[in-house]
Amino acid sequence: MKSKLFKLLPMLMLLLLGLTISTCQRGKQKSKEGATIALVLKTLNHPFFIDMQRGAEEAADSLSVNLLIQAAEREVDVEKQMQIIENLIQRQVDAICVAPSGSRELVPVILKANEAGIPIITIDTRVDSAALVEIGAEVVTYVGSDNYEGGRIAGEFMVQELDGTGKVAILEGIPGHETGDARLRGFHKALEDAPGIEIVTSQTANWERDQGFNVFQNIMQSHPEVDAMFACNDLMALGAIEAIAAANKTGEIVVIGFDALNDAKIAIKEGKMRGSVAQHPYEMGKIAVESAYKVLQGKTVPEYIPVTIELITRKDLE
Amino acid sequence: MNLKDMIHHYGRQFGTLIGLLILCTVLWILSPFFLTVSNVLNIAQQTSINAIIAVGMTFVIITAGIDLSVGSILAFSGVVLASVAKAGAPVPVAIAAGLAVGLLCGLVNGLLITYGKLPPFISTLGMMSVARGAALLYSDGRPISGFSASFRFLATGEILHIPMPVIIMILVYLIAHFVLTRTKLGRYTFAIGGNEEAALLSGVNVKFYKAAVYGISGMLSGLAAVILTARLSSAQPIAGIMYELDAIAATVIGGTSLMGGEGTIVGTLIGAFIMGVLRNGLNLLGVSSFIQQIVIGSVIIIAVLVDMALKKQSK
Amino acid sequence: MDMDSDVILKMQNICKTFPGVVALENINFDLRRGEVHILLGENGAGKSTLVKILSGAYQKTSGDILFENKEIEIKNPGHAQDLGIAIIYQELNLVSHLSAAENILLGREPLHVPGIINRSRLYRSTQKILDGLQVQISSRSLVKELGVAEQQMVEVAKALSLHAKILIMDEPTSALTEKEIEELFKTINRLKKSGTSIIYISHRLEELFEIGDRVTVLRDGKYVGTHNIQETTKEELIRKMVDRELTEQFPKRRIERGEEVLRVENLKIDDKLSNINFSLHRGEVLGISGLLGSGRTELARAIFGADKIDSGKIYVKGVQQNIKSPRNSINLGIGLLTEDRKSQGLILDLSLKDNVCLPNLDQFSKFGVVSSNQENSTAAKYIDELRIKTPGLNQKVLYLSGGNQQKVVISKWLCSHADILIFDEPTRGIDVGSKVEIYQLMNQLTAHGAAIIMISSELPEILGMSDRILVMHHGEINGEFAAEEATQEKILHCALGV
Repeated sequence: MKSKLFKLLPMLMLLLLGLTISTCQRGKQKSKEGATIALVLKTLNHPFFIDMQRGAEEAADSLSVNLLIQAAEREVDVEKQMQIIENLIQRQVDAICVAPSGSRELVPVILKANEAGIPIITIDTRVDSAALVEIGAEVVTYVGSDNYEGGRIAGEFMVQELDGTGKVAILEGIPGHETGDARLRGFHKALEDAPGIEIVTSQTANWERDQGFNVFQNIMQSHPEVDAMFACNDLMALGAIEAIAAANKTGEIVVIGFDALNDAKIAIKEGKMRGSVAQHPYEMGKIAVESAYKVLQGKTVPEYIPVTIELITRKDLE
Repeated sequence: MNLKDMIHHYGRQFGTLIGLLILCTVLWILSPFFLTVSNVLNIAQQTSINAIIAVGMTFVIITAGIDLSVGSILAFSGVVLASVAKAGAPVPVAIAAGLAVGLLCGLVNGLLITYGKLPPFISTLGMMSVARGAALLYSDGRPISGFSASFRFLATGEILHIPMPVIIMILVYLIAHFVLTRTKLGRYTFAIGGNEEAALLSGVNVKFYKAAVYGISGMLSGLAAVILTARLSSAQPIAGIMYELDAIAATVIGGTSLMGGEGTIVGTLIGAFIMGVLRNGLNLLGVSSFIQQIVIGSVIIIAVLVDMALKKQSK
Repeated sequence: MDMDSDVILKMQNICKTFPGVVALENINFDLRRGEVHILLGENGAGKSTLVKILSGAYQKTSGDILFENKEIEIKNPGHAQDLGIAIIYQELNLVSHLSAAENILLGREPLHVPGIINRSRLYRSTQKILDGLQVQISSRSLVKELGVAEQQMVEVAKALSLHAKILIMDEPTSALTEKEIEELFKTINRLKKSGTSIIYISHRLEELFEIGDRVTVLRDGKYVGTHNIQETTKEELIRKMVDRELTEQFPKRRIERGEEVLRVENLKIDDKLSNINFSLHRGEVLGISGLLGSGRTELARAIFGADKIDSGKIYVKGVQQNIKSPRNSINLGIGLLTEDRKSQGLILDLSLKDNVCLPNLDQFSKFGVVSSNQENSTAAKYIDELRIKTPGLNQKVLYLSGGNQQKVVISKWLCSHADILIFDEPTRGIDVGSKVEIYQLMNQLTAHGAAIIMISSELPEILGMSDRILVMHHGEINGEFAAEEATQEKILHCALGV
């Protein structure tokens, strides 16, 4: 009886693995002979990265390369992302495209990839170049929009919407993320030329929609005079407009977001938001895989491939 | 002890060990990359952080407690030791700072539980938030990076081709196994978890040893922070979120009873490796991260179900 | 006789066995309409078991129950309720943060439509019941805000709302003041007049004569007799409660009494113990008798340092000591064999060896590292000396028999070189053979100069093994007897505070 039970655990594990393998085999049916390119995202539960994944898949299909997509369970878990890359190096993929969860933390594993002769392409978030140089690691190219520029565009639009005077609140992302920091810097830069605009508070809502709601609700309590709000991503902005609606102030407060998510576009149409800076994650994914392919063909690629960034307003949607 | 006794005594570890071996065999068949020296070292390295935290968790859970604050303590220890290392202090001083912060947070847990008479769930839940906040406050919410090569050696260095984190993990396990099986502290840990009242009436200084166990758990989180910080060459105040659940899972898969009074260090090591091997293997096979979560969760449930069945069987 | 029309309940030849124990043997009991029938007996005489059978908490093993002249099987507590049998336990079963009304009609609330409670009717109907009891309780007041006596009345009201024909009250006066008892008795008399039958369990002999109509005495799970209360006396009842032949053999050896090793002066713990004075000498067994809740276990724990004392002095071997923890007292040579060995004396999931060594690891360790060899040889020694039956020293104590478990506890204290041993119910739940072995061990210990305090509910054991006997009542020592002059009657008199 006891020996039967001993057999139970392994058998169940086998069953489970079998299940897993069959599921992933289905996903891999499209795979063809040729190079294997890995795409490591921050997470798979964010529309931005799902778009990026689609772009990469399209490129992989048209180029006939195998595409492996992996992501950590949590966007902030850079250690897991590092483990994934280590395991991909182990698996001897031909190139790795990664959207780094941290701008410095991945440097050691990038070095490992370099040593294994696997080219690294970064997407969306730039890896700190000083840290790379210090350790002697290198990234082939960075595919991404210029977040600084995006922040600046948002700032200029803000000045324009407020006619040069007003009180502005900012919802920041997780501190220490290059992406969010760049957007913030750009936004601040644009406001430098508008002395009539005052930033009354700048707080983090950790990129999240529900926190955007709570944090902005608190801001409206402590700064009832606030005229406008800039959120470093749309999820936080979408949370904030709910808080604004709950306070019956829809339309009174200028809201500008970042990413131009579908929900944000709808909000802009309805007048709940004034604008959002559009990135093109689909393009990013596509260009990243194409660049990886080029590198594998022995061609050179520029070290920065900018992806268009633009402001979406109600005008653009009509 | 003859072989039969040994099988009886260590039977439950054999169960999980066999599970781990079968898992490895299956992955070996499915992936040519799995059973290579470098991948095995990879797995050991990737498992080391969770495995070290899980040692402290094992002690705590054997006393019938729980420590939800390990992930946050790791982050707090990490930013403190990173700032010390960045300021140019010698590596041992930085390590000591990290361990001290962890030990201190753990002891606060211990004192709240023993003298404050708070349930462990509550006091460590509070500490989870306090330590996280302290880490963010201390670091101003930003990662701290830029260390000397000698500090990074703690993660990137190798001795006899074995990565430092793995060496540290092995040392921790050897010491912990010795402490749990051969010392007063270990004996009292089991006694407190088995029957706190009886332990007290047998003259065990329950408050002291309970506080000590939470101190150990905190200190090991600090040690994990040293490795993590060196590995990422950066200490993030948001590091270690949900690490407590991984550590609890490794401990429970390893056969430690949440009711207290039972558990082994070897079991926890196997538990941590089952989780590490699964993650690594599923990565190698290119399985989607969504499915990975389902698989890992199912393994935890199955392992505990089997464990309970085995326990019932042996009674 | 037309008695039968008058009898609401008849229990005949009721037997109840638990694995290994016969709790009730051929009990006969009958209850008339509108009478207060007292159930009397020592701790463990079987009173509780009998009423638990009536309330459906236990199933009888054999025998018949006739309720209103019909033979019935009481299947579960719900069934007993439906029949009209209500029980008020010593520990009241009320939800403290609900109102009196909600408690009285818990689970049977009047409804507007299914799921929605008709609150006005709830409060009105329950207020009527409470008023009927002539007590001043608002049905809206929360139970936690009521005193114990009032809470008891809520329980009574609950029983009445169930149209209880039989009301069982287990020690209802134990937590009440004189005045509250008077009120309770008035209520009981009113219930009697309205035809409710009451089974009343109590230790307080004096109040039985005030409230009871008849009394049935149980002893050791056996039926002793039923009497009209006017036709009996306290002395007769006490005799009936204890009158047993001493069937067990006590291998008592008297030892020359040596020096004093423990003296307790004016020990006091608020609400639990007061005015405790006694001394203990080498070579003697000091028996402590008393009813459950009389403070015996509290005294043992206080001396052992497990509970804080509020005032008083404890001298160990001639020196006044401030015992703060069990560790202190163990270092002074005191050992406590707890009343409940499974929940307090042993760690069931640990091995025999680990349990024996637990209080003594300092002896076997250097720098915190325990020497297995020393542990093993020590455990082996005690297995041998105390003849503990076990497959090995790594056996979990969970799997040992009660007698062997108790020997493991004793080994703990032998190993710690304790010479002042407090044995709280040392033979509870142990078979006869092992009992004798434990008595012999006590002889050996006293012969080697140890002093033993033995707390026991079993009078024969107290009489058979003690050199001197203290009797406790309400947290005080109510009497002291030399072994030669003590009898069961005298001790019980003292314990009942008569």
